[in-house]
Amino acid sequence: MKLKSRRYLIAILPFLLLVLFYELIPILMIVIRSFQPEGHIGFTFDNYISIFTKRLYQQAVVNSIFVSVISSVIGIIIAFFGAKATNEATSRWRSFFINILNMTSNFAGIPLAFAFIILLGNTGILVLLGKEAGISALADFNVYSVNGLLLTYIYFQIPLAILLIIPTFDGLRREWKEAVLLLGGSPLIYWTRVAIPTIMPSLLATLSVLFSNAVAAYATAYALLANNYSLLPIRISEQFVGDIVQRKEFGSALAVVLMLTMVFATLINNYFVKKSRGGAAR
Amino acid sequence: MKKSRASKGTILIISLYLVMPLLLTFLYSIFTEWNEVLPNGLTLKYYKEILLDKYFLTSVLRTMLISAIPFILCTSVVLLALYVIIVYHPGWDKYMQMLCNIPYALQGIILAISVLSLYVGAPYPLSNRFVMVVLTYCIVILPYIYRGLKNSLDTVNAKCLIEAAQMLGANRFYAFFKVIVPNILSGISIVAMLSISIVFGDFAIINIIGGSYYQTAQMYLYKKLFSSGQASSVIIVVMFGLTLILSGIVNILNKKKVRNRED
Repeated sequence: MKLKSRRYLIAILPFLLLVLFYELIPILMIVIRSFQPEGHIGFTFDNYISIFTKRLYQQAVVNSIFVSVISSVIGIIIAFFGAKATNEATSRWRSFFINILNMTSNFAGIPLAFAFIILLGNTGILVLLGKEAGISALADFNVYSVNGLLLTYIYFQIPLAILLIIPTFDGLRREWKEAVLLLGGSPLIYWTRVAIPTIMPSLLATLSVLFSNAVAAYATAYALLANNYSLLPIRISEQFVGDIVQRKEFGSALAVVLMLTMVFATLINNYFVKKSRGGAAR
Repeated sequence: MKKSRASKGTILIISLYLVMPLLLTFLYSIFTEWNEVLPNGLTLKYYKEILLDKYFLTSVLRTMLISAIPFILCTSVVLLALYVIIVYHPGWDKYMQMLCNIPYALQGIILAISVLSLYVGAPYPLSNRFVMVVLTYCIVILPYIYRGLKNSLDTVNAKCLIEAAQMLGANRFYAFFKVIVPNILSGISIVAMLSISIVFGDFAIINIIGGSYYQTAQMYLYKKLFSSGQASSVIIVVMFGLTLILSGIVNILNKKKVRNRED
């Protein structure tokens, strides 16, 4: 009788199997494999040691963090002004801008890399314009470099960041600003003492979303740089597919390092969120 | 007044940065050459070429197939699980939510290599690349499907509806799939478009797991990237157009949903 009354549990089984076999076990295996020596069973830290001692892989970790931090910080600064403008604009401008953001948030990966190549590549339109006008910053721009990569990363961060922080700006009350001005404060004081501390937690949360988004981005970098610039996602995929010798154990360790950078970014972020909340309460 | 001008200026500058690469790709696709500051030779011949290319069309069909199957699979699996949770064990929802949110943090590349390295040497159905890609996509879209379906079920107040149907003599399973599911069809279609457009734009997973075994439109584009600029731009415009249609449908459905709720 009891068995029969629990028959409904069969319905949840497919979900559990899917999550177990394609989410939990694969990730667990990556972590386990990262501690195994190549080719046989055992336990070792060698994979991690070689990541942090071999220049190629050190560079990949440093480059990935560098590109992600810079593009996220620039992205959030632009997004701050973008969201502020959206908040102050008339409703027609607002819906125009939100449409643009929704549309361009779909433009990523290989199409994005291609667009920047025809814009700033060797015969890119802006490069030609720069040559014509004698602007060497444009004429000599190399899109197949960190600078080019940063431009594309900033590009895909902007729509995402603005769309994420617009709601926070909508939460700022007009009365607060009026109160500050009434008490003799300037708009600058309103922004530095009231508005920014209020929206800080959500700015920081967005920043950590942007970081994870950038640090694991694969397609844009793959199409734009291939092997010119060492980045973690590219180095990871190389260990599992492609022409060079496959080293699953080492690749797993690289993948764990990538996950750890995201975990660290979130932890650092949480610390600052807590701090900024505490500051606001005081 | 000054302020509104400043905000318009900011909006215009950011929009310009965002729209320029898109616009340029489009212009690139309709001119024969662009080696000087201004392009010349307006033409649609590249569109004709690509749209008549058998390989491109089959790769688009393959993309649609591999976007639709994970959606159908994942939606069915999540609906069945939500049935158990809503009707019998509301307390389990927090665990389900947790499991469904993990993929947010995983990102495509980590998921792709984890699944690939686990199943590449496994027995037949598991090691099949198509099976691997489909099930990996199921995990990628899982957070969006869970959230979309859960929100829809909450808005129609699924539990009450099931109890009502039960009082009228229907069994619970029948009530859930014959009464509740038709009521959340608009929610399901929004989730469909969203998840299909996510898979549509993916390159990481298909390139790592699918490789040369399964050519999608993104893979086709990557191959063309190094041979013909114009052909690439046409492919991008066509694919971006398809994505815009999908997200346009989502927007219309969303607006309709809001309006229905207001009535």
